[in-house]
Amino acid sequence: MSVPAPVRPEGVGEDGYVWRRMHPVTPLLRGWKIIAAVLIIASTQFTGDIRGAARLLGGDGWVAVLGGFVLVALVAVAWSFVSWRVTRYAVTDEAVHLRQGIVFRQQRQARLDRLQAIDVVQPLLARLVGLSELRLEVAGGAGSRVSLAFLRETEADALRAELLALAAGLRRPGTPGERTTSAAAPGAARPLDQAPSWFPGAAAEPAAGMAGSSGERLEGAAQDGSEPSSSGVTSWAPYGSQPASSSGTPAAYGAQPASSADASGIPAADGSLAGPPAGAVPSYADARYARPYPAATTRPGAVTEPTFATAPEHLVYELPMPRLLGSIILSGGTVWFALFIVAIVVMISVSAPFEAIYSLVPMAFALFSFFWQRINGSATFRAATSPDGIRLRHGLTETRLQTLPPGRVQAVRLHQPLLWRGKDWWRVVVNVAGYAGDREKQGTETVLHPVATRDEALLALWLVLPDLGVDDPRAAVQAGLVGLGEDGGYTAAPRRSRWVDPIGWRRHGVLVTRRALLLRSGRFWRRLDVVPHERTQSLALEQGPLQRQLDVASVAAHSVHGPVVPRIEHLDTAVAVALLEEQAERARHARRTAAPEQWMRSR
Amino acid sequence: MAPADPFSLDLTWTQVSPRLAAARLTVAAAWLVPLLVVAVLPPVLSGIAWLWVLPAVVVLLALWLLWLVPRQVGALRYAERDDDLLIRRGIMFRSLVVVPYGRMQFVDVKAGPIDRAMGIARVQLHTASPSSDAWIAGLPPAEAARLRERLASRGEARLAGL
Repeated sequence: MSVPAPVRPEGVGEDGYVWRRMHPVTPLLRGWKIIAAVLIIASTQFTGDIRGAARLLGGDGWVAVLGGFVLVALVAVAWSFVSWRVTRYAVTDEAVHLRQGIVFRQQRQARLDRLQAIDVVQPLLARLVGLSELRLEVAGGAGSRVSLAFLRETEADALRAELLALAAGLRRPGTPGERTTSAAAPGAARPLDQAPSWFPGAAAEPAAGMAGSSGERLEGAAQDGSEPSSSGVTSWAPYGSQPASSSGTPAAYGAQPASSADASGIPAADGSLAGPPAGAVPSYADARYARPYPAATTRPGAVTEPTFATAPEHLVYELPMPRLLGSIILSGGTVWFALFIVAIVVMISVSAPFEAIYSLVPMAFALFSFFWQRINGSATFRAATSPDGIRLRHGLTETRLQTLPPGRVQAVRLHQPLLWRGKDWWRVVVNVAGYAGDREKQGTETVLHPVATRDEALLALWLVLPDLGVDDPRAAVQAGLVGLGEDGGYTAAPRRSRWVDPIGWRRHGVLVTRRALLLRSGRFWRRLDVVPHERTQSLALEQGPLQRQLDVASVAAHSVHGPVVPRIEHLDTAVAVALLEEQAERARHARRTAAPEQWMRSR
Repeated sequence: MAPADPFSLDLTWTQVSPRLAAARLTVAAAWLVPLLVVAVLPPVLSGIAWLWVLPAVVVLLALWLLWLVPRQVGALRYAERDDDLLIRRGIMFRSLVVVPYGRMQFVDVKAGPIDRAMGIARVQLHTASPSSDAWIAGLPPAEAARLRERLASRGEARLAGL
């Protein structure tokens, strides 16, 4: 495309979508990033030659440096401005469209029924000016996310609520019936997972169309009463609707959710719903529609139809700062830090030239950034439940508010670094299909709890799997966390496997529940992987020559890309084969009865 | 193989075409023959007797491959069940992969120039997991096409999101 497309006035495009622009301050924020990058490159060029840099800045050189800097800044901002001019997004009932690119133009479409997570990210600078970035994760692998940056805070929150509601299967209120049906009817637009084979569509379609009234919706759900646990509303009800059991279910895991009524930092849509969880779900639809998004804050020229209020949420746990600092002190980075101090002391004491310390600068920088990332990523970490799924909020300078809709977590790992054993702290990480893309960000995105006590770890697991499928979930998880051998009903690796794993063999164990597969391993770095049956992608049985001599085999349950790689080593071959066969059958069965992708939709 | 093979699961397994062994050996020959030539040169040019060890090693490697590759190909089998596809591989390091049709995201059928000359193709199944390493090489093109169609249609009928 050599000729830039004519800049269309805001509003309806030729394709019938309402195209909107990002906030006009975006180019400045984006440009700042480029400038910072240039500064960092320049400074790393000079760290090796501080005298040279000083000499350059001492003379008339500083004029040239400043001039160059201003030039770079201008080019960066100009580029960002042009890129902002051509970037547009549009939201329909089925998808979010994003157009961008100056030289290589791109139009990306993210289907809402494939939505895996929505993040609202606020880098420090954007936060200062009240803007945020909205990221939609779809399960398309690397680089498949749709990033809307930057939007006004209120706008981003409203858009997030709207997208979640649409993804949940609700429809915009006041949408003309024929538009709803015409939008939903074409076969191509229908998600494949709603194929008639498992979608008794007749009941759901009117229910979705009448979403404005919660009574209608619940009636639609009730029509499906033969499968009470598989309807979207009821299956996730433990998250907030059952007044007695919402605190009772975590109690079954043996942990109480944090008692503080509501997140002070999280804007709840409706104060009356923000506190105790009682009745959150039944009135969810009301909450959604009772407060149409105020027209005054919508961008001029944008759609004026009322959108959705943010779903109510209630806090489950938060991470106290002292524990975070403690966990960082008890981490591998501290060991390096101690070595670093020793190195400095040794260097000074052997009276090496003082400048030799400069050679330690990169290492100090690396250590500092390690500690900073740990603190910055996990500080103020809090998890909440809402009808839209799990809400995670964390970050010190750059805050991130994640929403993981129900059923999007593919696997959970609870693990314990060696030094955390004394404190009995655990780190809980998850696999989410959308977060697969960039590895460097995985550290913060895929964390469900950075430093959990035993009880909080159980609670975090409960967030993902409210029903673990055993009568005593607490005992089952406890045995998985610290147990050995046959503790807690686990099937353990046989004694002969000590020849291939002399230290860890007693920890290798597997427990199959009605809902999930629990895989236990690690003697010093304890680990428990939990994979819901309906989330296993494929299964593998593996056996090396030594294992064959010992008549043992390993089983791997393949999950989406992420920090959790579920695998159990050295089971008795017959047990492993049986596990593989039964697991394939269980996974098949679980998929059939799994909750729908559009979680507010009855099936 | 062992009387009671735990990996067989009492299924009828389909073996892949032995032409796959021919194709793999052709590829091996493509680099072994030049290597042999290079290995023969030093002893011939210098006349030092013990340097014949070099070509001998290459010949041994070739013989080993000649013995190994057909066995490997023989160990590569697959079985179709109602709901999933099973693939077995390996002699020393054995593996068995179970891929439910409903978990398949897409199917690749590939055939390189040597494969085409031999009349075989490779079918690869992709799920949402990067670790499911599910492929079947050495299928006759007709069988590959049939398998692809079957996988696609079954996958569609059983597709269950992620």
